[in-house]
Amino acid sequence: MPVISLFAWMLVIVSLAFIACMFEDLESDIGSQSNPNSQIQLAPEMGYIHRYFNKAISGEGLSYALACTISGTIALVLLLRLEPTSGPKAALLAIPVGAAAGSILYMIRASVCHVGREAGQKRFEQPIYLDVLYGHLVPIATHNFIVVICITTIAYIQSNLALLSGMEASAASVSNPFPLPLLCLIWGITVGAIGSSTGDIHYGAERAFQDKPFGEGRRVVYHGQICRYGDCGVRTSKDVVAFCAKFGGPATGLTFGLIVLFENWRTVIGMMLGGLSETELVNPDIAAGYGIGIGIAVGIVLIVLNTWLVKWTRKKYGPFVGE
Amino acid sequence: MDPITLLIILVCIIIGGMLGSLGVHLLPVGGAPAAMATATGIATGCVMLMTGSAMTGLFTASTVAAFWDSNPSVLLVSLSGGVGAMLMIGFSMFIANLLYIFGVGVVPVSGQVAVDPITKEPQTEYMTPRTSGHGVPSVAYYSGMVGGLTGGFGGALIYVILLSGEYAGFSAATAAIVALGIFIANAIMAAYNIGGTIEGFHDPKFKERIVTGLTCAFIVSLMCGILVLITIETGALGGVM
Repeated sequence: MPVISLFAWMLVIVSLAFIACMFEDLESDIGSQSNPNSQIQLAPEMGYIHRYFNKAISGEGLSYALACTISGTIALVLLLRLEPTSGPKAALLAIPVGAAAGSILYMIRASVCHVGREAGQKRFEQPIYLDVLYGHLVPIATHNFIVVICITTIAYIQSNLALLSGMEASAASVSNPFPLPLLCLIWGITVGAIGSSTGDIHYGAERAFQDKPFGEGRRVVYHGQICRYGDCGVRTSKDVVAFCAKFGGPATGLTFGLIVLFENWRTVIGMMLGGLSETELVNPDIAAGYGIGIGIAVGIVLIVLNTWLVKWTRKKYGPFVGE
Repeated sequence: MDPITLLIILVCIIIGGMLGSLGVHLLPVGGAPAAMATATGIATGCVMLMTGSAMTGLFTASTVAAFWDSNPSVLLVSLSGGVGAMLMIGFSMFIANLLYIFGVGVVPVSGQVAVDPITKEPQTEYMTPRTSGHGVPSVAYYSGMVGGLTGGFGGALIYVILLSGEYAGFSAATAAIVALGIFIANAIMAAYNIGGTIEGFHDPKFKERIVTGLTCAFIVSLMCGILVLITIETGALGGVM
């Protein structure tokens, strides 16, 4: 029964990871953070005055690592204080309070960053639209809150996995040995790195240049010439989210979800083959070896899939047509 | 602690740091231009990507290292970390390609070589003019997978050597933070060496700059390693080691 619980908790973690990374990408779209920010920053210089929200607190990985670590630290302090009297129920209060603190501080950094960046572009006659500032802060904070609460919950589950799965103290190796804030830092950096490397493409290459031809890379001459008009009226960053939530966001969530799924799955399968019981892990060498073997097999499947995908695209799309 | 053990710790830190640097050089990093499908590679910076993947590897390595009571197998834990980082990079590149193909409508091509050196597929005719490629073509994907494996192996090697009771004997949290610090220092040095974007081992930049990158990684890791040895010998971390 505890081994089944272990798998069940693993699936809970995967679901939370999917939600976290999807909202991370959508939050970066609202705030024009990370790579496409270069275009939002360049636009006024090219004569394209816009109503996008412009923040790049830092790279996504680091800004999310900070928000998640603040949340994890506050949650851990509350847990240490409340767990002796309230038991595991303390997590129900500690995790949301930690996440709220992390996201409020994130919102403060976003507001300062936007105003500072826009003020720096006065020489290109870019105004600071106060309705853009006020209208985007709450969506930024709420999206960020969902990410941070998911990551903190993942870290809490992983650091208490043996207890939650009903294992005995001697099988404590099932839980991750890192403290809660360090797990938050690790997953914060990872969620930001993935959101930056996958989801940004849909915003940067497609949504920000929707008035340019579809089916080609954005030529250097187009840089800074962002699309400023929406289906109705002037476009703001909130319109970007509605578009990216249909493909870029879920695809990014899927990336992190699959990574967490296969990372945990191969470890748990390895542990089962290594003789995991309610009390101990009989053969650690076999457990680790099987985990590595399954990981390499998944890697080979990925290489084959990608090679096939590239071949299929070349055949389907053909060589570049046009000037 | 006896000098041979200290030497092993130092050598492992240097090897781990140099493998981390090699991993960064092998990744197809496109930076901000890749997010606009103007350059080949993954749309983020070297440090961000390598740290993200090494973190995933470190997480798995920490779980695997906890299988043993005090002296984990150095090779198995390091390999677990390497495979974890490889999978992180592999999934990121694969889904990024799906976004390039179905979201932007472009074929993944290399901007640095006319013909893919492994699959022998022609590249230039599929590329948008006035860009330096887009997406993650097959050769860049293979290079990225190897880069993830070596980088993750290096990061996990530093972690496990610091954690193991046979060697440094740090606590899990301290070992992770020290390993992360050494790894990021090496990743930043490699990012400076690359100077923006690189496609992988087939990129001419790789051959030109890899020796400088590895030399810098050796020096940085050596300095970090000496600092770790001083910490071990003097007990500068007090009771938290």
